[in-house]
Amino acid sequence: MHLSRRSLLQSFPGIALASLLARENSPALPFPQHPPRAKRVVQLFMAGAASHLDLFDFKPELIKRHGQPSDFGEPVEAFQNGLGPWLRPVWDFKPYGQSGKMLGEPVSALGPVVDDLAFIHNMVGKTGVHSQGTLLQTTGFNRPGFPSAGAWVSYGLGSMNENLPAFVVLPDHRGLASNGTKNWDAAFLPAQHQGTIIYPGTETPVADLFPDKRASFVSPQSEADAHRLMAALNHTHAASRPGDDRLDARIRSYELAARMQLAAPDALDFSKEPAAIREMYGIRDDKREWPKDINDAEEIDIFGRKCLAARRLLERGVRFVQIWSGNDNGFPRRNWDSHEDVERDHGPLARGFAHGAAALIKDLKQRGLLDDTLILWTTEFGRMPSTQGGKGRDHNPFCFTNWLTGGGIRGGVTHGLSDEFGYKPLDRHNPTEVYDVHATILHLLGINHEQLTFRAGGVDRRLTDVHGHVIRNLLA
Amino acid sequence: MLPRSLAAALLLSLPAAASPPAATEPWWSLLPIPSPAPLTSNPVDHFIRAALAPTHPAPPADPRTLIRRLSYDLTGLPPSHTETTAFIAAFNTNPDAATAALADRLLASPQYGERWARHWLDAVHYGDTHGYDKDQPRPNAWPYRDYVIRALNSDKPYARFVSEQLAGDVLFPDSRDGIEALGFISAGPWDLIGHAEVPEDKTDGKIARHLDRDDMVTNAMSTFTSLTVHCAQCHDHKFDPVSAEDYYSLQAVFAAVDRADRPYDADPATAAKRRTLLTEESSLKSREASLIAPALPRGADSLTALDKLIADARQPAASLAAQAGFHAAISDSQASPKWVQIDLARPTAFTTTILHPCHDDFAGIGDGFGFPPRFKVEASNDPDFKKDIVTIADHSAADFPNPKITAVSFKSKTTARFVRVTATTLAHRQKDYIFALAELEILDAAGQNLAAGAAVSSLDSVEAAPRWLRSNLTDRWYPGADAATLAAPPVSIANLEKARLLIVESLIGPAAAAELTTTRSHLAEITSKLNALPPPSRVYCGTVHNGSGTFTGTGPNGGKPRPIHVLSRGDVRRPGPPAPPGAILAVKSLPGRFSIPPDAPEGARRAALANWITDPANPLTWRSIVNRVWQHHFGRGLVDTPGDFGRMGGLPSHPALLDWLAADFRDHGGSLKRLHRLLVTSHTYRQSSSHFNPDAASSDPENRLLWRMNRRKLEAESIRDSLLAVSGLLNPTMGGPAFQDFVVLHPEHSPHYEYQLADLANPALHRRSIYRFLVRSKPQPWMATLDCADPSLLVDRRTQTITPLQALAQLNNQLTFVAASNFATSLDALPGSLSDKVREAFHRSLQRDPSPDELATTAAYANTHGLANTCRVLLNLNEFNFAD
Repeated sequence: MHLSRRSLLQSFPGIALASLLARENSPALPFPQHPPRAKRVVQLFMAGAASHLDLFDFKPELIKRHGQPSDFGEPVEAFQNGLGPWLRPVWDFKPYGQSGKMLGEPVSALGPVVDDLAFIHNMVGKTGVHSQGTLLQTTGFNRPGFPSAGAWVSYGLGSMNENLPAFVVLPDHRGLASNGTKNWDAAFLPAQHQGTIIYPGTETPVADLFPDKRASFVSPQSEADAHRLMAALNHTHAASRPGDDRLDARIRSYELAARMQLAAPDALDFSKEPAAIREMYGIRDDKREWPKDINDAEEIDIFGRKCLAARRLLERGVRFVQIWSGNDNGFPRRNWDSHEDVERDHGPLARGFAHGAAALIKDLKQRGLLDDTLILWTTEFGRMPSTQGGKGRDHNPFCFTNWLTGGGIRGGVTHGLSDEFGYKPLDRHNPTEVYDVHATILHLLGINHEQLTFRAGGVDRRLTDVHGHVIRNLLA
Repeated sequence: MLPRSLAAALLLSLPAAASPPAATEPWWSLLPIPSPAPLTSNPVDHFIRAALAPTHPAPPADPRTLIRRLSYDLTGLPPSHTETTAFIAAFNTNPDAATAALADRLLASPQYGERWARHWLDAVHYGDTHGYDKDQPRPNAWPYRDYVIRALNSDKPYARFVSEQLAGDVLFPDSRDGIEALGFISAGPWDLIGHAEVPEDKTDGKIARHLDRDDMVTNAMSTFTSLTVHCAQCHDHKFDPVSAEDYYSLQAVFAAVDRADRPYDADPATAAKRRTLLTEESSLKSREASLIAPALPRGADSLTALDKLIADARQPAASLAAQAGFHAAISDSQASPKWVQIDLARPTAFTTTILHPCHDDFAGIGDGFGFPPRFKVEASNDPDFKKDIVTIADHSAADFPNPKITAVSFKSKTTARFVRVTATTLAHRQKDYIFALAELEILDAAGQNLAAGAAVSSLDSVEAAPRWLRSNLTDRWYPGADAATLAAPPVSIANLEKARLLIVESLIGPAAAAELTTTRSHLAEITSKLNALPPPSRVYCGTVHNGSGTFTGTGPNGGKPRPIHVLSRGDVRRPGPPAPPGAILAVKSLPGRFSIPPDAPEGARRAALANWITDPANPLTWRSIVNRVWQHHFGRGLVDTPGDFGRMGGLPSHPALLDWLAADFRDHGGSLKRLHRLLVTSHTYRQSSSHFNPDAASSDPENRLLWRMNRRKLEAESIRDSLLAVSGLLNPTMGGPAFQDFVVLHPEHSPHYEYQLADLANPALHRRSIYRFLVRSKPQPWMATLDCADPSLLVDRRTQTITPLQALAQLNNQLTFVAASNFATSLDALPGSLSDKVREAFHRSLQRDPSPDELATTAAYANTHGLANTCRVLLNLNEFNFAD
């Protein structure tokens, strides 16, 4: 007889039996708990902190006051003391769609789908430190040691295709953002929920998918025979050791591995995509060499490839795909941390992600997949409405933008406004936090965010810590 | 899902838990440990069998299984086939004696410390990089890892082991272990940016330091006492008797320390010498001060003024400011001219132009960093330098020798508004080209610098504040810039000091002046003796940090602890009442707050915590450690949440056994080796794991009552070490800096740890896994896939998974092929038939003979596909990856 965690605890109140359940590799409650509006999630993460002011959150007041000394009406602690004069949006904004949503020029590719997007302009973080901000948005905590949202979703809902990982990460090919792999870690959740890194278009898109190239003695026949020999020896071994299902599980893991060797390359084989689709994603098959300086065409190509890979993975049952734009905070900048020059970095990066994201949204839509795929655009925090003395903007953990689209999201709405400068939320008492965004995503996946828990270090941990409210405004 | 039957069985075995404990009742783990009753049989068997009855224990394991179990358990390595055969023979004569002798041999081997240090490092989340943003390496973290190995191998009494890790510098001065052990405090992650780029007076800086202390408190209390005190950060603990005030009292213990490199002398004799010399130095300095003292009141005004000038000249900020400069954008090509120019605001007459080069250690370049080999200096009134150009210097035709940090000066009587330096050929950096200058000075006939603060423009610039900015070119700071010259009187530090001495000597009289001279020459001798000592070693540890810039630590403040307050809801912006140093009040047998005078050195707080934890009357400490040891032998702790003995944790499955072991361990010198011996020689430990009892399996499927032994899935380290050992590749070198199985790209900023670029055929990478360099932001993917501990988490028990990605990792990684090839080559070198070689392969990898069937199938495969493929199969078998 099986008992749910709750009924067990009700049967034996106060008894510390829960710890026995904590190490189960799947949660005790059956998820989804209510009919889900979405089955899959895509998280687009802009590493380095993307400026809401130059892309999505139009502030005419900054145009009016451009160049005047900034006055925030209160003391401000900026990360690099970047409290120079007000800086107008670096690009012109134009209205798009029925909603008339104003978009900055570099993200104008999102214009045709803007009525599907729901914006949150009053996001707040906790600190202006990159590592903490990034962890907060990926794991819900501003210190290492907690599972990524994708790991929680994998843990809660499991896989829809056991030949592929449930949680896939497509990092920026130039390097990992602040915190590295901690941003998709399983932490205390079982390791199978950790994000699996995939580099589409490379020889080994998944680590160790195929025998190391330096091994000369492996052939297709030796592989097939090796699997047979291993199975035979393992079955003999298991037969004399009853009552340990790990032995059978490990035998099966080799069968699944062999199937993954077929499924993963198939999922990433763009040659099966019509030219029109590749073109829609901005993939330039003709171009493999790029200029040294950051440029639009290259950013569009690399982000487009990740978006197309994401679509192919999603339609094969991958549960959660995390796509990164931008690497570490090094020089020359290949991320969004534009202290020096917003135009230089944000321009190509924004055109790159916007083109790919727009293609992904359109493509999912035409396949009917957008109905049950949720897309979140996010970053670690925003940027200040003032300059840092030159053409850059300092960190703004007090206000930034997220947007969502897809399964269960009401397009064309804006939830939560920022003030006239985009410095802080208009209503400072009611900001939106990452907990609310995560609670909303879990809700749409059919999960009550307060009930998806795992006991670790003496606490029933949640993705939303002890916070989080579903943002009803955003629900279709 | 937990079957009801197991729950029932557990309740039966846990009489103490049969009624739900009210929050006011004392919790089991906080109750004193009762004195152990004398027992005639092995206590493990005594208590386990009592709880198991009437179920019979499983039959004993066969000797081949037992030696494999014990070897992995105590050393993390498989036995050799020879050792296995010898043990089987001895066991068949006298099982008890043979088992005891085997345990003794393995406990005495250095590999024991290497194995059990890994368990400890899991618990304390040791790593070799900081983690967080930019994840910089900690090149001096490893002495702590070596300390743990050494402490375990020498069976250091547990109380001393604990005390050294919290306060070894205070409790055991002059000892190497006392310093290296402090790596415990710094073991966890550290937010470099939150400390080095955000000062302590900003909110973000306060949060970073709060999180840092939280990590230290959590590490100490989880590791040593199995309490989750960190849950009391925002409010009193919801389940356990830990108040927020307790929590912040623990923060107060660590309030003075940061994570930093600390110099020390590993050799006690050198340490003693250095201490003697430093004592002499300090008494000479006070003599010097008392000689000068009479001069002070009389010469106060001029001396104070001089002191201020000297202090200004030496201010620490000067060093960074002096290094900063202008840096043009990095270029791929050497022949892409770059220019930088200053605007004197109006046409101005000047006579001298001075170029000050930079210093930067990047790529080992140092002095003269970025100074162009070919350049010209020009002046004009046209900001675009299209007309009316006056050439001041032209070195564009031939290379100009790099001036290092010597100023390069050009005389030329000119009147112009703009002065431009054009690098016609850029300086070589690593794989690219740069142009950098620290300062540009334009002097008028009177020697006045007209360029100070002038506006700077350039073709391009990296603009990376604060180090590289256009404005740094005219900020008056450059390497060698004498800060004193930047204040009003243009005098050097040496001149200032000379002036000061003359004033002093004239005021104290000739006799005292003579003694002052002697004292100072003695001081110089001491300094030279100190300089002659071997350079100190360094360990990354918890220590009072004496830093400059933003990350100062408490050193400049004499190591005085930062004030700690109870924070309302854990918010650094809402400090409540001050928190005195202490532990928790709920341990009734010990005072929960420390009586330490407010002006006592900070180390007294850490020493007090060490004493509180290691007190024989502390019920948590002794239960915690024996439970951890039990877990690593039996696969699960008597309490299955080793880091949490609170109400959210597990209850002891055998409370009387836990208490017996805790008291016995405490009362026998805290000897871990004695405890291991007691556990592994018990019949409970020596049971078979393959025995199947359907009734027990259905009533206790998790085997909490130990009706058979638990089969162990090997940990990532054991799998890797076994691959190397069995294939003959294992490099047994112990200790020292970690090996790096990755290549670092972009080390100057955010290092990229690229594992796929390492060549695993390199023998330097064939050391035991305990010596791996542990990167936090990017753990070794192969090890991580195999459930290796994450150094960002306190891992009291590893999660265990079985996934297709593990199968891929074990089948296809280069390591498997390197091992399989070497294994095959060594078999090929043996005489005999292919069957003989396959049999030998079974001996080495599985420590047994193959059955006739196994031999036939495997040899047939080897015949078709070769021995290397065959070895790869053996290294992937379930039998290789589990210890029965």
